[in-house]
Amino acid sequence: MSVVENTQAAQIPENWEPKIIAFCCHWCTYTGADLAGLNRMNYPANVRVLRIPCSGRMNPQYVIEALNKGCDGVLVCGCHPGDCHYVTGNYYARRRMMIFKRLLEYEGLEPDRFQVRWISGAEAGKFRDTVMSVVEQVRALGPLNLTREIPQFELPPVPDDDGAFDAVPEEVTA
Amino acid sequence: MTAQDAIRQRAKELLESGEVATFIGWEAGRFHNQTTPLVITDAADADKLVFNEYCVNTLAKYARDVVARGKVGLVVRGCDSRAIVRMIIDQVIKREDVYLIGVACPGMKDRKTDELLKKCAECRHGNPVECDELIGEAGEWPIPEGRFAEVAEIEAMAQPERSRYFESVYAKCIRCYACRDVCPCCTCRECFVDQRRENWVGKQNNVAENRFYGLTRVMHIGDRCIECGECERVCPMDLPLMKLNRKVIQDLNNLFGEFESSLSIDDSVEPLIAYDLNDREEFM
Amino acid sequence: MILAKQNLAPLLESMANGRDVFVPAVVDGVAKFARYGEGVEPAFDLVNTTMPPKDLLFPQTQKMYHYDVDANGSYRIYEYDESREQVVLGIRPCDMRSIVCLDEVFLTKGFVDEFYANAREKLLCVSIGCAQAAETCFCESMGIDPQLAPNADIMLQDCGDAFNVIAQTEKGEAEVARWESYLEQGEAQPVACDQSLKVSMDGVVDKLEGMYDHPIWENLSIKCLNCGTCTYVCPTCHCFDISQENRRKDGVRFRCWDSCMFSEYTAMAGGHNPRPEKLERVRNRFMHKLNFFERRYGMSLCVGCGRCVEKCPVALDITRLIDEIGATNA
Repeated sequence: MSVVENTQAAQIPENWEPKIIAFCCHWCTYTGADLAGLNRMNYPANVRVLRIPCSGRMNPQYVIEALNKGCDGVLVCGCHPGDCHYVTGNYYARRRMMIFKRLLEYEGLEPDRFQVRWISGAEAGKFRDTVMSVVEQVRALGPLNLTREIPQFELPPVPDDDGAFDAVPEEVTA
Repeated sequence: MTAQDAIRQRAKELLESGEVATFIGWEAGRFHNQTTPLVITDAADADKLVFNEYCVNTLAKYARDVVARGKVGLVVRGCDSRAIVRMIIDQVIKREDVYLIGVACPGMKDRKTDELLKKCAECRHGNPVECDELIGEAGEWPIPEGRFAEVAEIEAMAQPERSRYFESVYAKCIRCYACRDVCPCCTCRECFVDQRRENWVGKQNNVAENRFYGLTRVMHIGDRCIECGECERVCPMDLPLMKLNRKVIQDLNNLFGEFESSLSIDDSVEPLIAYDLNDREEFM
Repeated sequence: MILAKQNLAPLLESMANGRDVFVPAVVDGVAKFARYGEGVEPAFDLVNTTMPPKDLLFPQTQKMYHYDVDANGSYRIYEYDESREQVVLGIRPCDMRSIVCLDEVFLTKGFVDEFYANAREKLLCVSIGCAQAAETCFCESMGIDPQLAPNADIMLQDCGDAFNVIAQTEKGEAEVARWESYLEQGEAQPVACDQSLKVSMDGVVDKLEGMYDHPIWENLSIKCLNCGTCTYVCPTCHCFDISQENRRKDGVRFRCWDSCMFSEYTAMAGGHNPRPEKLERVRNRFMHKLNFFERRYGMSLCVGCGRCVEKCPVALDITRLIDEIGATNA
């Protein structure tokens, strides 16, 4: 694990909570997260779990979009090498994510903000531990310091941000 | 006979005999030290062709546009030939669709400064890697040092500095997509930026959207980049795009073994479309 | 009135006091009109900036309005007007002419673009004439005098070591009155600007009428990459696209530059694209520059600034096209 480069500890606003999105493979980590829930394991609510069919489906664009749209960290989880439901998907993902992670860090993203882990369906404990450590690492880093949108585009703050991933409210669709 | 005369003569012969339907080369531009790509179908136009040290454009991508008219003849140097190889591997064109007249590259000059172009100074293959005939002889082309020197410079910066550096790069981008349009690796029938319905990337010009485009471009061409440097040359804002491409190439080299894309048609396994059970494990 | 060249810097300093003054400058390696301030070194000897001044009036991305849904489910719309008093100092006569074209598009024929109109009204243009031309300059051929910009508020004619100051509008006169301490009485002789690049527009507009299906477009378009460089560096290209960014119940609608070189520019709902290939797109761009605009507004949409000639990655040169059209017997 790399050393946390805390470049802006002073700027961390009070009551700020990191927002992290976890892309989890349907066949392993997503089930592992489910198992963690069944076992009543506690882990921070800063992580939003998003299911993908396989870590090989993980498009690098999802990561950039997540960071652009307000996430402070991204976690990608897949099956252990050798255990891929589609036999080889995570081998490709492994290469792609190694390259992509280096590229993001090259452009100035702190290494801890983008992490990849192999977590099987039985490893509820590992899921909990991973999430807890990622949340703590990102919390130490503070809000993402990349320019997300030009200032004139910034919308007024949303008072209650917990529903960011809610479905479209009825009054909008009606 | 100069290379230019030989190119004209061969173009004429090929077009007259009907062996090729179109021929792609360069013609003189408005200014004496400028050339512009030329596509001809008539043997009488062959005398318009020129070959001098200002032939800055890589021609290969035009083959895709005119291949529907029949076999394409074109002049290839190192970069053009690797671009053609790239397009053949990517099944954009077939080997039998093109007739390649190889010519040893003298290294091309920047029209404004009259110095060797950056892309030519960094080029590792001046001689064609694939051709049907070679005009003259293959030249000496020593492989320049410091392929990843620029990358190392950036890597030596501290993290906030790197972040600022690339933010300023993306702040300058005007998203004209010249880097995509000139790239021999960017041959998707429909680019993701043109897929408005999916709206992968917003149309607004800001650092975030420009970064989205820039990073995606690099990841898409990553292991296929032939290092022709055309993206960097055509950029109207002079963005250092090769610093991104070479970063990926460097990592591929370090992680998955020495690799250089598109040197021959047969060796077509790029690192990111392959895997090895013994790849390094960083994500356990 | 005369302004000695060494007085230009102090004058700029005094103008910038409390106002946004845009000057040609090289910022981060890009020559553009930048707001004068710290780190911006004015480069008045730059013949032409890489980026045109059009984004002062028509930014590449412009927020139009912001909307949201309140607790009762009704929509609210908040309009934006981000225009403010701006001065541009050192704009060249070709770029001033491009503003004439933009004015025609955005303000006339019964269609007034409020965003443009507001910004235009608050813009004070101080043009500096050209004493020397770049290799790619051909404004004289497009009917522009490099030492004259009739629609500028103030014209500074380059006379070697001084400028001839001519106030051409009321706004300009009021401004010049404030410059008094920097000015001297008299009049100097403007330096003649020698342009080496010349084209003849004789008959080009009329010839183009009958050239819609001419093979010239095929030959020309084949080398085009279909990138947007020429349209984005062009001072008169003014196409835009309106799009929006949504977040939960909020959203922002904005407009941004678009380019007729892009395949999705003319793409329609349902999938039809009336300009599917390079040929149609290239033809449209040049017909618009040299013929369509002339027919509608009585002036050419090309001002001869030479930016596209300079920046086109494949040297697809509008001056050569004009020559070629002139040489055809259509």
